[in-house]
Amino acid sequence: MKKVLAFGILVALLMLGCVSEESKEGAMEQIKIYGSGASFPAPQIENWISEFSKVNKNVVVEYASKGSGAGINDFKSKLVHFACTDPPAKKSEWEEFEKLGKPLQFPFIVGAVVVVYNLPVEGLKLDGETIAKIFMGDIEFWDDERIKALNPNANLPHEKIIVIHRSDSSGTTEVFTTYLSLVSEEFKKRVGAGKLVDWPVDKLGRGFGGKGNEGVSAMLKQTQNSIAYVELAYALHENFKMVSIKNAEGNFVKANSETISSAISASSAYVPDPTEGYKEDPKLFLNAKGKNSYPIVSFSHVLLWQSYPEKEAKAIKSFWKWVLTEGQKKIIDGYAPIPKEVAELGLKAVESIRGE
Amino acid sequence: MLRELKNKVFILYLIISAFLVLFPLLHILFSVFANGIPVLLKFGMEFLTETLPAPNKPGGGIFPAIYGTFVMVFLASLIGIPLAVLAGIFVAEYPNNALSKATRSLLLIMMEFPTILVGLFVMAIIVLPLGSFSALAGAIALSIVMLPYVATYTEQAMRSVPQQYKEGAYALGLRKVRVVFSITLKIAKKGVVTGLLIGMAKVSGETAPLIFTAGNAWRSTGGALEPAGAVPLWIYYLVQQPYANYHELAWGAAFVLMVFFLAIFLPIRLSMVRS
Repeated sequence: MKKVLAFGILVALLMLGCVSEESKEGAMEQIKIYGSGASFPAPQIENWISEFSKVNKNVVVEYASKGSGAGINDFKSKLVHFACTDPPAKKSEWEEFEKLGKPLQFPFIVGAVVVVYNLPVEGLKLDGETIAKIFMGDIEFWDDERIKALNPNANLPHEKIIVIHRSDSSGTTEVFTTYLSLVSEEFKKRVGAGKLVDWPVDKLGRGFGGKGNEGVSAMLKQTQNSIAYVELAYALHENFKMVSIKNAEGNFVKANSETISSAISASSAYVPDPTEGYKEDPKLFLNAKGKNSYPIVSFSHVLLWQSYPEKEAKAIKSFWKWVLTEGQKKIIDGYAPIPKEVAELGLKAVESIRGE
Repeated sequence: MLRELKNKVFILYLIISAFLVLFPLLHILFSVFANGIPVLLKFGMEFLTETLPAPNKPGGGIFPAIYGTFVMVFLASLIGIPLAVLAGIFVAEYPNNALSKATRSLLLIMMEFPTILVGLFVMAIIVLPLGSFSALAGAIALSIVMLPYVATYTEQAMRSVPQQYKEGAYALGLRKVRVVFSITLKIAKKGVVTGLLIGMAKVSGETAPLIFTAGNAWRSTGGALEPAGAVPLWIYYLVQQPYANYHELAWGAAFVLMVFFLAIFLPIRLSMVRS
């Protein structure tokens, strides 16, 4: 019995040893790159990794989605090769990176936050001001004059509006509240923008929080007469009814890859040099000009170092170069590719990565 | 008459409470089986041998997670069990020593300790200095979680050995070391092994200690010093994604985890009932 056990342990240890030996020997052929961070682009990144590994068998990319904040921390501790973050890194974070090396940051994908509702009414139209009023609780019923004015033909019920929002700290909330603060002075004063805000509608008993896009989606499905905001990918997947939002030029638009691309077509002017990523102001991409522009869009960013050990540098460059070129043609539902000029900024940054 | 009625009402109350306690457990078992088995049938053997697919693409599997769980539970046992068994023996053999009293209450506290903090602790002392998430760091976190269970079971098994056996051994002139390891531990073997298996079953289902330590591996398997996946970690990440095939993978993984857990747990329970 004892001998069998001891033998078993020995064999298992040898096997583990072999695996790590193998990967050392195989390092010439197979290199592993690790990334972590934002959960918002994770499905797209998984998709890219699958596609990339088909053409590039000797690089394995692993991405752990655990939130933008956690990604920045991992990057700072050099536990990962790259990190993804939805809001661009802050100045204070950037200064900490600079103590450890030369950081790079550039956008690699665009997404949208959409307003969704559970009501037997098709094609609801709202403007920013009205959305802000609904999410502050000022508008109590679906057949309120202010909603009726925007939807003269809709058969709106006399039911109380139930507002569902995120209960956890989230980049989605930050983008959404930044937009509302931009279009409504009152929202800016009473609520403000942030990852986690105090929703006044909660105090009226008509506002509820759900954890993650998943939680909000589940609550919206179960609650009649409710309204919520989620990332586009979730709204598409759950087949939610989306609100057409009035953009800066007065047109009502729904989020799709076309309207998102239109919103960011002129954005390259606002994207700073990748070596000064913290200078980016996400406000500039919201409520963008253009007839067909969807107003609530946001970039997701990647953080990289300018130098890595030789082999890793090569693998990282090949992956991110692929993402910014071939990868931009392989975008899944709910996201949109970045404009060419922005991709070129990123490519230049990737080219500047050196191996040591 | 009234007395009988009271009796019946009370028994009914007991039955209902027992059912209410059992209901969630039965519901979990049922939903994991009902949702997990179809996934396994649909994916076939690939489910156990393939790696993560892209969103909404068919096929794929959870091999890196199964591999990672086995590696980490194995390493955790290798690190944790010797320590835990020795601690258990010490506490059982010197029950009145101040150190052993402290150890005993410490073990009880450790059992209730939030496992996410264990993960943070190991991240600070292993992950950051090594500069990488790794299976080893995950295993160390798991071994800390496992330790109090194994130690407490060992202690109780050692204490349940009748004093006469030990006295007999001493009377034959054996030294303490021989008495402890060749007599008491041998008689207590069943209890100790139960503790080991319960510890292993427990940590194979742990998520929190791995979040900050193991990192993640969806597509690769590696050695002890490289990031590793784990079945519960995968379930945790996969259900947060909006894609149907990821949810399917999560149900399948839950089923695999449940089978693994029951395969360790049921034999223990049955053998306990028998003895």
